[in-house]
Amino acid sequence: MSLVTTPKPTWSQKLKRFFMIDLIKGLGLTLKYNLGAITDKDAVAGKGIYTEQYPKVRPDVAPRFHGAPRLNMDPETHDTLCIACNLCALACPEDCIDVIAMDVEIIVAGKQRRKKVLDEFIFDTSRCMFCALCQEACPTSCLELTQDFELATYSRAGFVWNREMLEQGRETVKYTS
Amino acid sequence: MHQVEIATTQETLLDSPEMVLNMGPQHPSTHGVLRVVLRLDGETVIDLDCDIGYLHRGMEKIAENRMYTMIAPYWDRLDYIAAVSNGLVWVETVEQMMGLPVPPRAHYLRTILTELNRIASHLLWLATHALDIGAITVLLWALREREEILKIFERQFGARLTCHAWRVGGMPNDAYDDFDKDVRQFANNFPKRIDEYETVLSENRIWLSRTVGIGVISGPEAIAIGLSGPALRGSGVAWDVRKSRPYAAYADMDFDVPLGENGDTYDRYLVRLEEMRQSRRIVVQALDNLPDGPVNAKLPKVVKPPVGDYYHSIEGPKGEIGCYLVSDGSAQPYRVRVRPPSFVNLQALKQMCVGHLVADVVAIIGTLDIVLGEIDR
Amino acid sequence: MLLLGPINILNDLLLRFFSQETINYFLWPLIQIGLVVTLVALWVAYATYLERKISAFIQARLGPMRVGPYGLLQPIADGIKLLVKEDFIPENADRWIFFFAPYIAVASAFIVFSVVPFGPDWATIADVNIGLLLVLAVSSVGVLALILAGWSSNSKYALLGGLRSSAQMVSYEVAMGLSLIGALMFARTLSLSGIIGAQGSDSIWYVLYQPAGFLLFLISGIAENNRAPFDLPEAESELVAGFHTEYSGMRWSLFFMAEYAAMVVVSAVAATVYLGGWYFPFVYRLEAAGHHNLYVIVSLLVFLVKVSIILYIYFWLRWTLPRFRYDQLMDIGWKWLIPSALINIALSAIAIFTVQALNGRRGMKTIEALDRGLNLTAQGKAIVIVFGVAGLFITAFLMSRINWRSRDFNMKTQRRNIRLVNLPKGKPAVSVSEV
Repeated sequence: MSLVTTPKPTWSQKLKRFFMIDLIKGLGLTLKYNLGAITDKDAVAGKGIYTEQYPKVRPDVAPRFHGAPRLNMDPETHDTLCIACNLCALACPEDCIDVIAMDVEIIVAGKQRRKKVLDEFIFDTSRCMFCALCQEACPTSCLELTQDFELATYSRAGFVWNREMLEQGRETVKYTS
Repeated sequence: MHQVEIATTQETLLDSPEMVLNMGPQHPSTHGVLRVVLRLDGETVIDLDCDIGYLHRGMEKIAENRMYTMIAPYWDRLDYIAAVSNGLVWVETVEQMMGLPVPPRAHYLRTILTELNRIASHLLWLATHALDIGAITVLLWALREREEILKIFERQFGARLTCHAWRVGGMPNDAYDDFDKDVRQFANNFPKRIDEYETVLSENRIWLSRTVGIGVISGPEAIAIGLSGPALRGSGVAWDVRKSRPYAAYADMDFDVPLGENGDTYDRYLVRLEEMRQSRRIVVQALDNLPDGPVNAKLPKVVKPPVGDYYHSIEGPKGEIGCYLVSDGSAQPYRVRVRPPSFVNLQALKQMCVGHLVADVVAIIGTLDIVLGEIDR
Repeated sequence: MLLLGPINILNDLLLRFFSQETINYFLWPLIQIGLVVTLVALWVAYATYLERKISAFIQARLGPMRVGPYGLLQPIADGIKLLVKEDFIPENADRWIFFFAPYIAVASAFIVFSVVPFGPDWATIADVNIGLLLVLAVSSVGVLALILAGWSSNSKYALLGGLRSSAQMVSYEVAMGLSLIGALMFARTLSLSGIIGAQGSDSIWYVLYQPAGFLLFLISGIAENNRAPFDLPEAESELVAGFHTEYSGMRWSLFFMAEYAAMVVVSAVAATVYLGGWYFPFVYRLEAAGHHNLYVIVSLLVFLVKVSIILYIYFWLRWTLPRFRYDQLMDIGWKWLIPSALINIALSAIAIFTVQALNGRRGMKTIEALDRGLNLTAQGKAIVIVFGVAGLFITAFLMSRINWRSRDFNMKTQRRNIRLVNLPKGKPAVSVSEV
C-alpha cells in the first residue's frame, strides 16, 4: 500500500509520538468528561450530562411540533369547527383521512336549505407521516397536529382515530416516576 | 432480487481456502440493510458483491401518482439523515421548472437550514464511522451536537428527522422567534466540539493506522465511477455543486472547499470535518445577512409545471442529489427520477475493499457514508 | 474478636456431626469457596454497573437510573432477566459443546480466585506456593471455551471470533508471562502471598522497580481479556458479537461474567505483584495495636481499592481508544510486547547484578537480607528504581528504533492537512490537475 504519500515527521512530532502524547491527550479529555459529569449538577447544560430523563421529566415539545391530530372545537359553543369541506383528505399524500359528511336541513332566513355537516372523521395515524399538509389545507383551523407525541397503542385498530378521539383526545398512560 | 454472483456452491468452496461471509442485511455496521457478500481468503477480501433493495419503497412510482405539493414529504424519506437537503432539491426543481420567483429571505433561510442539516448529517457520519472503528465515545458526543440541530429543526419545522421542511414557492413558516439566538448559540459552541473530536481521533495513532491508506481511490477513478460529495473531494477533485451551479443563496456566500490528497479514508475523514467548519461559516454569514421580507412566493392555485423535462441538483451532505422531472402539464408528474449520491458512491465499495481485511470493509462502508433509504428508494 | 464469635459458634455446631479434621480440611474451605464465589459474582455484577456508569459519564450520559436509586439494582434486574430468558440453541449447532463452553469459561475465570490473596490471614483462601503459575495456567484454559463456543455455534462470525480470540490469547499469554518474570526476580517466590510479603518487608511496591513490566503486564492483560482496544474477538462492528453471537440468555451472561471475572483477576494479579497487594504503609500498626480483624478488613479494603483503580484504567481505555485491526494486534503482540518483555528481563537482571556487585564495595550496603525476597537498603532501592525508570525509556527507544517502519503502533504516520480551495463560482467542474 504505497499509494499514500506520508509527510516526513518532524522532530517534535517524533518526540510527541514517542511519549504517546496523542493517546494521553485523548485519555485526558475523557477523564475531564468523567470528572465533569460527576461534579456537574446542572443537567442539559452542554458540558456535563446531556441525558433527558424522559418518563420522569417531560420533554418540552416545540409549539410547531406535528404530533397527534386533534379536531378543534369552538371554545364557546363547543361545536366542531369542521365544515366537512374535505380539503384535508384531498391534501393528504397518504390518503389517511376520511371525512364523512351528512346533509342536514336548516332554515336560513325562512328558507329551507341543505347544509353539509360533519358526521364522522376517521384519521389513520398508523399511515400518517405527520407532514402537516392537512393542517395547512384546513380553512377553519379545525384539524391541528398537537404536541402530544405518545401515540403507541396495543393494537393496529388503536391507530385509527375516530371523531370522538380526535375531539376529546385519547387517554394515554402518563408515567410519573 | 438478483442472484448474488459470489455465492458459489459448497463443492467448489471445499477445495479452496476461501470462505464466503454474508455481511448483512442484519449486521451492526452496514448502516441499515445493506447486504455485502464477501469472498474471503483468511480475513482478506478477494471479492465482494453488494445486494441492495431491502428498503425499496417504490418512491419514484409513488411520486407519479401524487400532486406536486404532496411529493415533498416522500423526499424526506430518501436520505432520512439529511431530510432538509433532500426536500430542497425537489421544491427547487419544481420552482425552477415553473419559473417561480422565490423571495430572498426564503433562499437565505434555506441556506442556513440545509447547512445545519449538512452538519447534522456529517455528525451522524462521524458518530457511526468512529463506532465502526471502535471509538464508541465519539458516537455519543457527536449525537449530542446533532441533538442541538434537531431541536432547532423541531422548533422551525415541527419535526426532528423527516421535517417536510419546504413547500413549493418558499417555506411553510417564517423563522421562529428565537431562531437567530439558537443558531448563533450552536455556531458559537460548535468549533470547540470539533476540536474535541479531533483530540480523540485525528492524531490518535490507532485511528491513523486504521484509516491511512485504507480504501484508496484516485481522482480519475473516482470521476469514472461517478462519486460525488466528500468522497470525491477526498480524492482531490474540486467539484462542489454549491460552487459550480450555485442554488439557494450560495452565490452570495464566501466559503472554501476542502480537498484531500490521497483519497484514503483518513482524507475523507478530514474533508468532512473541515466541511463542518465551513458549513458553520456559511450559517453565520447567512444569518448576518439575513434579509427581511416574505418567505413565500405567490403560488398558482394548482402547481402545474409546463410540459417538458428538467434536471436540477444540489450538493447534499453525501454528494450530488439530483432530481430529473418530466412533466406532461398535468397536476401530477409524469416521471420523477432521483439521482441518489449514496447509490452512486456505493459502486466504489468493491474497488476500495479488495485486498483489505474484513475490519477495513466496515471502515470503508462507514467512510462512504451511505444511507440505505436513498440507495433503495 | 467480635467477628470470630459467630465463626466459633458455627465450628462448635459442626463438631457435633463431623470430626475436627473434616471440618478443617473439607467444610471450612467449602464455606469459604461458597462465600468467595458469591461475593465475587456480586462484585462482577457490580463491575458491569460501574462500567456502565463510567462509560455514561465519559459520554455525557447518565447510565442506568431507573432500577433503584441511581440504578443501583440494575445488575440484579439484569441477572433476573437473563436467567428467565429463553436459552436458544441454533439448529445445526454442536449441542453438547455449545452447552458446556460457557461453563468452561466461567470456571476457569473463577478458579483463579482461590489463590488471589484478598488480605492477610483468613482473607487468603489458599496460599499455594506456585500461585502465580496457577493463575496463568488456569486463566489460559479460558481460551478453550472461546474456541469451543466459536466452533460449536455453526456460525461464521462466531468461528472467526473464536479463531481470532485463540490466536490473540495464545500470543499475548507469552508476553504476559514474560513481563512478570522481572518482578519475580525481586520477590524470589511464586506464591502470591509471598510476593506481597516480599514487598511488605521491603516497604516498596514493585511498580517502582518494574515500571516497564507493569505497563507490559497491563497491556497484555487487557489484550488477554479481549477488552478494547484489543476486543477483536467480539468486535461488534465487524463480527457482530464474535464467539458469543449465537448465545443468549443465561449462557451468554456466563460468558459475560467470565469476561468481567477475568478482568478482576488480571487486576488483582497486577495489584498483587506490582502494587503491593493488600500491603499499605502504616496499616500494620493496627496489627501491632492488637486489632487483628480490623487490620485484616482494612487490608482487604486497600486491596479492593487498588483493584478498582486498575479496573478503572480498563474502562477508561475502552471508552477512549479506537479498536486495532487484527493484523496490527498480532504485530503488537509479537513485535512490541514480547521483545519489550525480554528486554525488561535482561535489564532487571542487570539491575540485580549491579546491586549485588555494589554491595560491600567502598563501604556501600545495598542488600539487607535475602530471606524474604530481595531486601534492599535505601541505596539499593534508589539504584533499582533508577534502573527501572531508565529501562522504561531504553525499552521504548529500542522498540521504536526496531519498529520504526511498522504500521501497527504507528510511530511514523502523522496527521495530514487538507487543502482549502476557494473555487470560482458558476464554473464547471475543475479537473484534478488544474487545481
